[in-house]
Amino acid sequence: MLQAEHVTIKYGSRLAVSDVSLSIRPGEITAILGPNGAGKSTLLRTLNGALKPSSGQVLLEGLPLHQFSRRVISRHIAAVAQEGDVRFPVTVLEFVLGGRYAAASAGAWGWETNRDIKVAHEVLDETELTELSGRLMNELSGGERQRAVLARALATEASVLLLDEPTANLDLAHQAAILALVRQRSDLNKVAAVVVTHDINLAAGFSNHVLLMKSGHGVAFGDPAKVLTPELLKEVFGVRILVDAHPITGVPRITPVHEVRR
Amino acid sequence: MTSNTEAALERGPTVRGLDEGRVTLRQTLIACGLLLVALLAAILITSLFGSERLPTRASICAIASFGRSRCGLTPDQYAILLEIRLPRIFLAAAVGASLAVAGASYQALLRNPLAEPYLLGVSNGAAVGTMIALVFFGAWEWSRPLMAFTGALAATFVVYRLAHGRAGASPERLILSGVIVTTFLSSAIVFVTTLMDATRIRSFTFWLLGDLSGATTRLLALAIVVAIVGTAVLAANARSLNLLMLGERDAFDLGVEVARVRLVVFFVASLLVGSSVASSGSVGYVGLVVPHLVRLSLGSDNRITVPAAALAGALFVVVADTVARTIIAPRELPVGAITALIGAPLFVYLLKRG
Amino acid sequence: MSVLCAFLLLACSVQKPTLTEASDARQVTDEAGRNVTVPAKIDRFISLAPNLTEIAYAVGAGDRLVGNTTFCDYPEEAKKVAKVGDTLQPSIERILALRPQLVLVSTASQLEVFTKQLDEHRIAVYVTDPRDLEGVFQSIENVGKLLNQESRAEETVSQLRQRANAISDAIKSRKPIKVFCQVSAQPLYTIGRDSFVTDLIRRAGGVSVTADVPEAWPKYSQESAVAARPEAIILPTNGSMGSANADVAEGLKRSPAALSGRVYRINGDFLLRPGPRAVDGVEALAHTLHPEAFNQ
Repeated sequence: MLQAEHVTIKYGSRLAVSDVSLSIRPGEITAILGPNGAGKSTLLRTLNGALKPSSGQVLLEGLPLHQFSRRVISRHIAAVAQEGDVRFPVTVLEFVLGGRYAAASAGAWGWETNRDIKVAHEVLDETELTELSGRLMNELSGGERQRAVLARALATEASVLLLDEPTANLDLAHQAAILALVRQRSDLNKVAAVVVTHDINLAAGFSNHVLLMKSGHGVAFGDPAKVLTPELLKEVFGVRILVDAHPITGVPRITPVHEVRR
Repeated sequence: MTSNTEAALERGPTVRGLDEGRVTLRQTLIACGLLLVALLAAILITSLFGSERLPTRASICAIASFGRSRCGLTPDQYAILLEIRLPRIFLAAAVGASLAVAGASYQALLRNPLAEPYLLGVSNGAAVGTMIALVFFGAWEWSRPLMAFTGALAATFVVYRLAHGRAGASPERLILSGVIVTTFLSSAIVFVTTLMDATRIRSFTFWLLGDLSGATTRLLALAIVVAIVGTAVLAANARSLNLLMLGERDAFDLGVEVARVRLVVFFVASLLVGSSVASSGSVGYVGLVVPHLVRLSLGSDNRITVPAAALAGALFVVVADTVARTIIAPRELPVGAITALIGAPLFVYLLKRG
Repeated sequence: MSVLCAFLLLACSVQKPTLTEASDARQVTDEAGRNVTVPAKIDRFISLAPNLTEIAYAVGAGDRLVGNTTFCDYPEEAKKVAKVGDTLQPSIERILALRPQLVLVSTASQLEVFTKQLDEHRIAVYVTDPRDLEGVFQSIENVGKLLNQESRAEETVSQLRQRANAISDAIKSRKPIKVFCQVSAQPLYTIGRDSFVTDLIRRAGGVSVTADVPEAWPKYSQESAVAARPEAIILPTNGSMGSANADVAEGLKRSPAALSGRVYRINGDFLLRPGPRAVDGVEALAHTLHPEAFNQ
């Protein structure tokens, strides 16, 4: 449904992303991993048209992305924002209802339909924000705001979610909860997700595929177990890695080995 | 539930009177309906005040009959009421609405509650345009609003280009660029006044502070049309503005045609400011204080704040101008002085309230 | 470097302030009530207002005028004199560079701004402030005294007085016409209690409807202008008025005066300059308001 073909992005002479191809399929979560500056977020931003590739293209349902209007793209692809600051008094409900914008049909001077409200409430329920729906966004904690951001993306009912460091500000409990939610959506509604994250273990636990990137290049792509090997990880991150299986879940567990002098 | 949530709930609800935390069409219609009634009442009441005393009942009767009947007013009184006072009141309403809506739009677009036509250099750009029109095209009446609009647009363009770094124009850079352009244009205005003769300087300085006494029928009609059309267009883009208020990237990702909406909003806001300045100089604080007050009482949803700001702004300037033209009667004060006198302390109070 | 040289040059040129030694100085009181020390003989002086320039030439001291403003355009010779700026923002440096002994100032200028500086360079500043036509005559005589042209000044004043009296006689029995003098259309400015123009109108057989409004040049309400029911509207125009006063203000366009065509344009340079030509203004105004009084 969504494909990046030989995408290259240049900033002047600097190569941010070099000849990366990626195929996103319904119901699958793809994690993009790599050190800082690997081009992960840059690649992510081309997937919904926020950035135009210098060469190569992104295809939505087989057609080039730039042929679609913003509204149509947003109905299919939802980018879960990094939690920015909200400078005006906006309630959680209003914030989440923002996700229904693309679905509006009568032009921008539309008001929310009953369906919009229903979807918003469902999504608030999923992200456990129902009690806070009347509260102002800037009264929420960092983690609650992140959930609201996810809720808004889910409210778009898009079939592809793009998430950039979704667990950055969350405590352990909520980190797992967020990704579990995404996983659930994938499994139940066949939503596809592309997640850029630093947390390798979380990626290993929740994703179907992993794309390992370094310096703009795609180094490896595939099953977490196949990609998250000590050799590849050492090559990409430059750190000695111990990979074993999680004792309870059986999922690959990645532990960096630090040479620490005492 | 996290302890944060518990603490938040304990503080009690912070949402004022909005049903279930969002603004509905019904609420908007009620709020705007009330404001409209207040505005009409204000227009009627302030038409009874002026530097000349007119008989109350006869005045009300004449207004109610839309000028068809003189209701016992002498020809002079009739002329004063319907040809001088009422047109001026309507101009005040048009200017107040235009400036308030422009201010609200800039604040939403630039994500800064302090954005205001004056601060952003737009007012001064319009003033310089008007001055050029007066000096070079004095005879042609339409040159003033045309040049004012051009000046406003040019100032907006310069501010935007100045602020556009590689990472896009952050609101902070925009405000900064606006201040630079404003101060530069202020100096330009002072420079041009030195080219004028002494009498012109005095009258021009007064006009710069806001003067609503020059309502020719055609300019008044233009001001009213622009106010109504401008408000309508911006209200139509209100939902996009709601998203833009949360960040251009967010808005883009959610489906807003950011570049197009930005262009429309800047263009229409310049039109609104240009028409106001062309007919009445720079009336300050309206674009700053009125949207702020409206947001505090009705929330930040632009679908309600844009029309409400228009009506509230109209009300504000109608009242301010009534003070300006009666307090030292038969002499007059510039209305900008009154809006500043009311607006500045009000704004300080609002800031303190948080 | 060149700036430094220029600065030094300027400093040197004003190194020699025009000192007034105790013996050849006089103490006078100007029209603003200030005590001014002036040299007994004045060879170089500057005028900072068009009316004062006209007065200077009228008393025969024009050859000693070394500087005036960009608005000083009468008589012809005045145009060729060095300009020190305009009435509101004269250039201190230019003034100092011309080494005057005396600067004549009308209250329209921003006095406080530069009198201090001129004081430091021992340049005398004399303020004129005529409130009516008599005051204008007084100014002419005062300036004449200052510039040692008393007899010429007296002569001029007596001629002007004669003309003014002639007008008074001619219109003696006429009923004064109610006049609104519009100084600027938008915003609407008129003449007030403290303006000498009010007196000019009176002498021309009119009465200003704004005669009791405080200030000299008040910004006026259009309503009140209409309610005052002036029988005639005076528009001081042309010359330095520019086009600020090309037409009657909006609100007055349907007033009886405007509708019946009693809108009179008088040369602004006559009417608004408290100098010798003010009498020309009175004459023009009188002829306009009471034409029948002047038919032979």
